[in-house]
Order: sequence, then structure tokens, then C-alpha cells
Amino acid sequence: MSVQNNAVLPRGVSQDAFNQAVEKFRALLGEANVLAKADQLAPYNKIMMSVENAAHAPSAALTATTVEQVQGIVRICNEYKIPIWTVSTGRNFGYGSSAPVQRGQVILDLKKMNKILKVDPDMCYALVEPGVTYGQLYDYLEENNVPLMLSFSAPSSLAGPLGNTMDRGVGYTPYGEHFMMQCGMEVVLANGDVYRTGMGGVKGSNTWQIFKWGYGPTLDGMFTQANYGITTKMGFWLMPRPPVYKPFEVIFDNEEDIDEIVEMLRPLRISGTIPNSVVIANILWEAGSGNIRRSSYITEPGHTPDPILKKIQEDTGMGAWNLYAALYGTQEQVDVNWKIVTDAFKKLGKGRIVTQEEAGDTQPFKYRAELMAGIPNLQEFGLYNWRGGGGSMWFAPVSEARGSECKKQMEMAKRILHKHGLDYVGEFIVAPRDMHHVIDVLYDRTSAEETARADACFNELLDEFEKEGYAVYRVNTRFQERVAQSYGTVKRDLEHAIKKALDPNNILAPGRSGIDLDTYKKA
Amino acid sequence: MTINRRSVLKGMALSSIAGLTIAGPLRAMAKPVSAVGQPVLVLTQEGAAGTVFLQGALTVVPQLQVQPAGADVDFLLALERQLQTAASPRIIGLLDDASATLVVDIARSAGARVQWLGHHSAEATGSRHHLLTANVDDYWAQQLGHQLQEDGSPFTLQVERQDGSLVLSQLNASPHLSGQATPWASSIGYLLASLGDAGLGGTEHAKVALSPVTSAPITGNFVSFSIEA
Repeated sequence: MSVQNNAVLPRGVSQDAFNQAVEKFRALLGEANVLAKADQLAPYNKIMMSVENAAHAPSAALTATTVEQVQGIVRICNEYKIPIWTVSTGRNFGYGSSAPVQRGQVILDLKKMNKILKVDPDMCYALVEPGVTYGQLYDYLEENNVPLMLSFSAPSSLAGPLGNTMDRGVGYTPYGEHFMMQCGMEVVLANGDVYRTGMGGVKGSNTWQIFKWGYGPTLDGMFTQANYGITTKMGFWLMPRPPVYKPFEVIFDNEEDIDEIVEMLRPLRISGTIPNSVVIANILWEAGSGNIRRSSYITEPGHTPDPILKKIQEDTGMGAWNLYAALYGTQEQVDVNWKIVTDAFKKLGKGRIVTQEEAGDTQPFKYRAELMAGIPNLQEFGLYNWRGGGGSMWFAPVSEARGSECKKQMEMAKRILHKHGLDYVGEFIVAPRDMHHVIDVLYDRTSAEETARADACFNELLDEFEKEGYAVYRVNTRFQERVAQSYGTVKRDLEHAIKKALDPNNILAPGRSGIDLDTYKKA
Repeated sequence: MTINRRSVLKGMALSSIAGLTIAGPLRAMAKPVSAVGQPVLVLTQEGAAGTVFLQGALTVVPQLQVQPAGADVDFLLALERQLQTAASPRIIGLLDDASATLVVDIARSAGARVQWLGHHSAEATGSRHHLLTANVDDYWAQQLGHQLQEDGSPFTLQVERQDGSLVLSQLNASPHLSGQATPWASSIGYLLASLGDAGLGGTEHAKVALSPVTSAPITGNFVSFSIEA
């Protein structure tokens, strides 16, 4: 094997040690599963981070196919102090794509561990490996005529349940809070041990995907958004496909309506009348995912002025806010709930209700209805074409499901984005008590000036929201250290104490969620 | 479907470049081949940019396999399957941001190699180009700079390697009119079609002159790429 001379190396690792580790990776995984050439690594480079490419360039990428190989990789990493950045399908684009948090980290890509291990149609659950995609699982359910439905995020077909759940992502069905539906995971720890959560440690147990809690401390959550282990299997519950499904949209003309919309909606969500993760998307989210481009309306730089937004509304019939929800159940259940819902909107005196029969195949209604029914599609990627330049970073603060709070957050975000010449492209994903206020910070990657502006904007959003007691629930890899600071020193001290106990060599994704033994200094 | 330069030029004459309709399933192919003997598949979308890109590529490769591309699941999964076969051609293209983001990530999941990833933004007043190259001779980046210079419009060009090291940073702020300009999208098509085994190695470069064409300026945001299984 020829000696390599990499321009990118892991932090603190010599070329010689790196080469030795690579040779051991090759012996373990085979030549084809150790990627170290520039053109093999190029598709792993960062695409959605507002900094220079060099900051997140990987030194190598590995692909594993078995748990034993993952254990072997961990052993080699410990021996040579190689930091490893694990991805499952690597497709949480606006949250950072598959690029590592720190330059030089070796990517462990689990895309080839893609077996659907079990689907139980009676107990309504699945057990999958990290590389399984929602599209793959959807096809399995369809081909085997299993009357269960999936919940997934908008990249649906290409993303996967394990990665999305481990990042605490959400979907749009009644099972939309994905971590809540997780049940049982298998984790390779930094010392090579294989740990199963919940009932998974009991020999002969058939309740690993049935009962979450097991006995003693329940540790599942500790492995999400964290770097304490590499999850190699995950179980999760699936919703039975209902006999009747009724998606609908309610269109609101004015931006200030958000206060009343949320106040009207909250009781319907808490009571379960509307059971799914409702979305309230603003005009630009709606326009972008409906394949409308900014350049069709304005070519001036800066944010899109409100009169243009109104013009888009007039031209398309889209609302300033567009609420998407669905009812599920028997015909009798849906009929009763439909009356409650329509009565509530009538009482509000605002909003035009659009049913599936009225919308037909028009977008964005069609893709929203599909997402709420567990049918994958990629329509929402149209957002990347709205502004031009394809840069996208999700800013996702948590809000109370209270109208005044949502309005306040919307106004704050819009003001800050406009100050930096960017658009407010936002939606609220409505849980019973909280809102995931998801804002797509779109920017032109070809412009160094605009990229720097997007970076400054994102930092200001974090700073200003923090002053009001708000923080994001998840963030692009670029900002993970910054967001960790928002959650306080006691939490960070505890997280690093756990890290030191479980991964003293700091090999598993140092920097993930700001957890890094090499750089963290206890306050 | 397979098309040649003549049919594209004819199509351009009839339809002012835009609206060239190309259809057909994505499939493994043995022909056509580039100047250096490697099959080339072009992913393209309707519109002036795609057609001009294709015209530039045809300057190098007289016959090209062309596939319409988009951000739909069936296309992407077919592309992934194709990239996983040994017979896969080299794939080049110029697509919108959304489609290209997905295509390049499909290349990752298929275990393919990406030699060139370019982000392009063009307005009537000038253009910006940011390239990431991997295992590609710097000659090609310099050629792009040269072609853009010949075009005569203001531009910025930044080229970096996969490791983040800067290859080239070029700025041409003062436009000049050179008569028959070559649109930047045509230059990209020409250069990407020229990248073959020899081009990647950097010792032998295709020696085909790029013919100037006249057309309206190509504006908008696009991503170019060269992917090899």
C-alpha cells in the first residue's frame, strides 16, 4: 500500500499515525470501504454551513456493514486517538449534511447497514439499521401490504428514521414527535461494548420494541444529539393506517393573524381533536416549496419587501399563513372531529378552508397531504431555489404554543433577517404545548459576502433569542458549540463528566452538541 | 436519448435555445464516449442554461447521452443504481440548486467520486463562480478563468480543492466587449466534457477549441458537477 500524505488530518494526529490507522481500517473493512482520495471525499464536504469549506473537510470516510466492524473501528480509533463523525444517511441538509463538526474528523458512514430487521404488523413497530431510509421502509410496507404508516421529515424518501430520531427530528403525522415513538436502541460504546436500552438487555426478551423503560435508569435520551455511542439499531412504533384520512388547509391572509390562529388551534391539539403535527407555513415557505422563485418577482438584493409578498399572495392564492392539518380514524370519528374543527374556524371568523377535493393535485397542498399521510416526496427541496444560491441553515427555536409568543418570535426573526438582507421563510410545527418554530435561513453560497452575512445573521438570531429566554432544539453543525452555551454550565459540566467516563479518549464525534473533552473548560 | 451537436444547434435556432425537450429512462450505456474514450451522460433541465451547457459539451463529445434531471425520487434512485454499476458513464450536469444538492448527495450514497462541484450565480451585470475540485488538474480551473475572461463580462472565480486549499481566485471587474462572446454555461459544459481520464491526470488535455455562440446572457443560480462511479 502506498504511503499517503493527506492535506487534512484529524486534530492532534500525525501523518504516520493516521496512515497506520488507515491501514488497519483497510484490513478490517476492505479497500472499498475506506475512502481517502479527494474525489471520494468531495461529496462529504460541507454544503450548508456558512463558513469556508476547509473548516469541515474530512480526512477520510469509512463504511461499515456490521456491528462487529463498528466495534473494530472503535478499537482502532482508541488506539490512534482518531476522532470519528458518524452519519446514518447523512441527509439532514440544513442541519449540516454529512460533514464533520471539526476539520479532519473521519466520517463513519453507516449507509450500508441498511437492513429492515423486523416489522411487526400486529404490535405495530419496526426495528431497523442506521442506513435504512424512509423510502425503503415505505416500499417494504407497500410491497408487503402492511397497513402501517410512517412519519418522517420533509426529505422523507432519502432520509432515515434512525438518524432523524437520534437528532430528535419531527414529522407531520400523529406520530410526528419521533423520539417519543422510539422504543429500544442498540449502541456501540466507545469501549466497544454493545449496549441495548430498555428491555434489550434481558436475555430472550420479546418486549424490546414494546416497552420503553426497562428497569433502573432509562438512558435512551442520553444517546440522542450526543456523542456517547454509535447507534446501530433502533426500534420505533408505527401508526396503523386509518380507514379515513382527511387532510385540509386553512389559508389566512394577514401575517398578524398568527396570534389568533395559535390560540384557536391549541385546544384542538391538546384535546387530540387534531391529532397530527400541524404546520403553519408562511408565504415564502409556501412559495418556495411551490417552486416559485424570488427572481420571478424581484431581482434587487436584500430581503423581499412586504408588498411583493402580498403580490405573491394575490397571484397564487396562497396565504400569509397556510395551516395544514389532518383528521384520522373511522368515518364517524372524522365526521365528528371535522364538525368541531370547522366550527372552531367559523367562530374565529378568519381563514379559508381548503379540502383535498378542492385542492386536487395542486402544490404545495399535495406534498403536505402526502407528508401527513406518510407518503414520501421531495417537494420541499424547492425552497433551495427560492432565493438562489442554495445555502440553507435551519434556525429552530422552541416556542410556547401561545399566540402572543409565536407572534413575538416571528417579528423578532423577521426583523433580524431583514436587517441582514435575508428573508423570513418560516413555519411553526404545532405540538400540543410547544411549537418548533423552524426558519430556513436561505443564502447564496456563491457570494462570500452573503455567506458571511448569513453567518452573522444566524449568530444574531441565537444571541437575540437567548436574551428573551428562547433556544433552539436542534442546530446546524456549524453552531453546535454556540447553542450548547445557551443551555448553561451545569448541564455542560454533567455532559462532559459523562463523556469522560464513557469515552476518555474523546474519539466519538468530539464537538457534537458542544461536547468535546479537548476544548471544554469547566466553568 | 442520444443527441448530437447539430440537433442542438438546430433546436437553438428554432426555439431560441430554451425549451429543448429531452426524454427517456435513465439506463446504463456503452456509448457515446468523450474525446478520451469515456462514456459521458449529461444531466440537464429545460431552459437556456441547460441548452447552452449542452452545446458546450457537444463541442468536445460529438454524441452525448442526455437525461432530464429533477428533484424527484424515481430519478434519484435510478441515478443511485446506475452509479453503483461498473458500466456507469461519467456524469456531468448543470442543474438548479435543489436538484444538484440531491444529485451530489446521491453520488455520496452510491459511493461515487465527485471531481468537480461548481456553484454559479449569473446576472445581467456579471457572474460569480465557486468551484470545489478533487483530483482535477488545476489547468481546468485556469481554463475556466481564461474562458470567462474571453467572455468579456465581469466575473469572480474562486477555486478550491477538497481539502480547502485555494487554487485560484480571480476577479475581472472591467467588462470588455469581444463581439461574439461564449456564455459561461457553454464554457462549463465544454470543460466538464473535457475532463476525462487524461484530464484528471493532468498531462494530456483535450485540444478542442470552444466555438463562440451568441445568445442572451444566461442568468440565475446553477450547480455544475462531474461524477464518476
